Amino acid sequence: MEVVRVEGLGKTYPGGTKALEDVSFSIDKGEIFCLLGRNGAGKTTLLRILATQLRPTLGRASVLGHDVLADPKSIRPHIAVVPQEARPQMLLSPYDHVFYMCLIRGRTRADARERTRKVMDELGLWEHRDKLAADLSGGLRQRLIIAMAMVADPEVLFLDEPTIGLDPLGRRSVWSMLRALTKKGVTILLTTHYLDEAEILADHLLIVDKGRTVFLGTVEEAKGDTGVGMRVIIESAAGNGAGPPEVLEPRSAEEILSIVERGLRERRKVTFKPASLEDAFIKIVGGSIESENT
Amino acid sequence: MKARIREALYIGLFDALPLLRDPMLLVVISLFSFLPVIFIFVFADQASAVQSLIGAIVLTFSFTGLFASQSVYFNKQWFRFQDMFVASKVSPASYALGLSVSGLVVALPGVLVALVLLLLSKSATAAGVLLLLGTSVLLWIGLVFVGFAIGATTKNARRANSIPQVLSIALGFLPPVYYPLERLHDIPIAQAVAMLIPTTHAAQLAKYYFGLISIPAWQVWVGWIYLLGFAALMGFLASRRAHWVDP
Repeated sequence: MEVVRVEGLGKTYPGGTKALEDVSFSIDKGEIFCLLGRNGAGKTTLLRILATQLRPTLGRASVLGHDVLADPKSIRPHIAVVPQEARPQMLLSPYDHVFYMCLIRGRTRADARERTRKVMDELGLWEHRDKLAADLSGGLRQRLIIAMAMVADPEVLFLDEPTIGLDPLGRRSVWSMLRALTKKGVTILLTTHYLDEAEILADHLLIVDKGRTVFLGTVEEAKGDTGVGMRVIIESAAGNGAGPPEVLEPRSAEEILSIVERGLRERRKVTFKPASLEDAFIKIVGGSIESENT
Repeated sequence: MKARIREALYIGLFDALPLLRDPMLLVVISLFSFLPVIFIFVFADQASAVQSLIGAIVLTFSFTGLFASQSVYFNKQWFRFQDMFVASKVSPASYALGLSVSGLVVALPGVLVALVLLLLSKSATAAGVLLLLGTSVLLWIGLVFVGFAIGATTKNARRANSIPQVLSIALGFLPPVYYPLERLHDIPIAQAVAMLIPTTHAAQLAKYYFGLISIPAWQVWVGWIYLLGFAALMGFLASRRAHWVDP
């Protein structure tokens, strides 16, 4: 069942900046759909249009069968958003944030108390419930913002860089929470700069660059389409001071064998690195940050 | 309708909660516009102190309206809670009403103390109090709109803090709100400029309804029309600048 449908979507801001151009895709129920792209590529613009926060200027987009421009009121009760760079109110406790968000979203006080406990427990926030947000770590603050969105029990969840600032364990707890949500049928659209996150989570991904679609498909398709293969790294076994490592991309089994033989002959360390989404991303977007700077 | 009012109240309460959780700060902010009254009471006569007390009530409402700009800015640009509310069933009217009334929640204790003092000074009548609140609320509506226009237009936290403070001096402490307009009789330009400022009109009307000054009937009408026109104009301005869904 299709939950999000985007056709020829475009956005030009009032100042004339073109942020999106002719973007089309669809997302099925219970899917995690990742939006990738460099800074300013148009990811947040696209997410905000689908979350009914921003008007598109071209094309059509619908969420849960309702047009984002013509019928946003039918969409809003069924969605929730974790905005980019959202911050908690530093002089309030995590409990205040989540409890009041429940009340504002229309829950009764008793129901709000129950929901607050459940969401805060799920996100490991309950033990911190009475601290001031100012005294929380960056990761806990980010989890608190996610908790505020989660109180809605949404059918579609939009997350704009939700794991920024989280430590590895915190990121994994968010990932497992997102996976658990999809098992309940929640559809998730998330933007991220962490390509390992997209690799682990995404059922489908869209890579945008300068507002245009440059790739749409699965992670495996991204790696396959770009011809990114295994990398072999040869470096001195002695460690530092023996020159930079060589990074090679063998195209055949014979090439791999000859690299290994060379490594043994020269008594150097040979490491195999499987193709990653990051490699594919760099190829798709057209160059690494280094090449952009040169 | 009931659900919308509930939404607005909880949004307002959530916005005011940092102050409500800290009663000491609440007392300071609530009594801020009443501090000049103490000096006037000490250094002038009781009649001047009563005038300044009425001016302080008018200003408490106007400051809370003006400082809605900070709520608008911080909820939109800093905390990004507005984005969370847009993507929910919260209505823009509830949100706007909630942020507007949050300031009143904070100002209410000070206003109540001032009304009690007015009653003790024996210069208050029920009609006077009602008309004082009427002019103050009308001014507050106009300045809430100003606050929304400023908060929606401001793009950095420094300006979001400084603009309403500068405006509060220009609208509150400089014009004849704490002191009588007659003090400016010798400076006709200053008096003319003062009559362009909405707080002057609200303060004049409030003092008139308390029987502390006498002004001709046409000036009373001009005062009300000015305040109504100001609220309507600022409402138009706010509707052009503040957006629920970004364009």
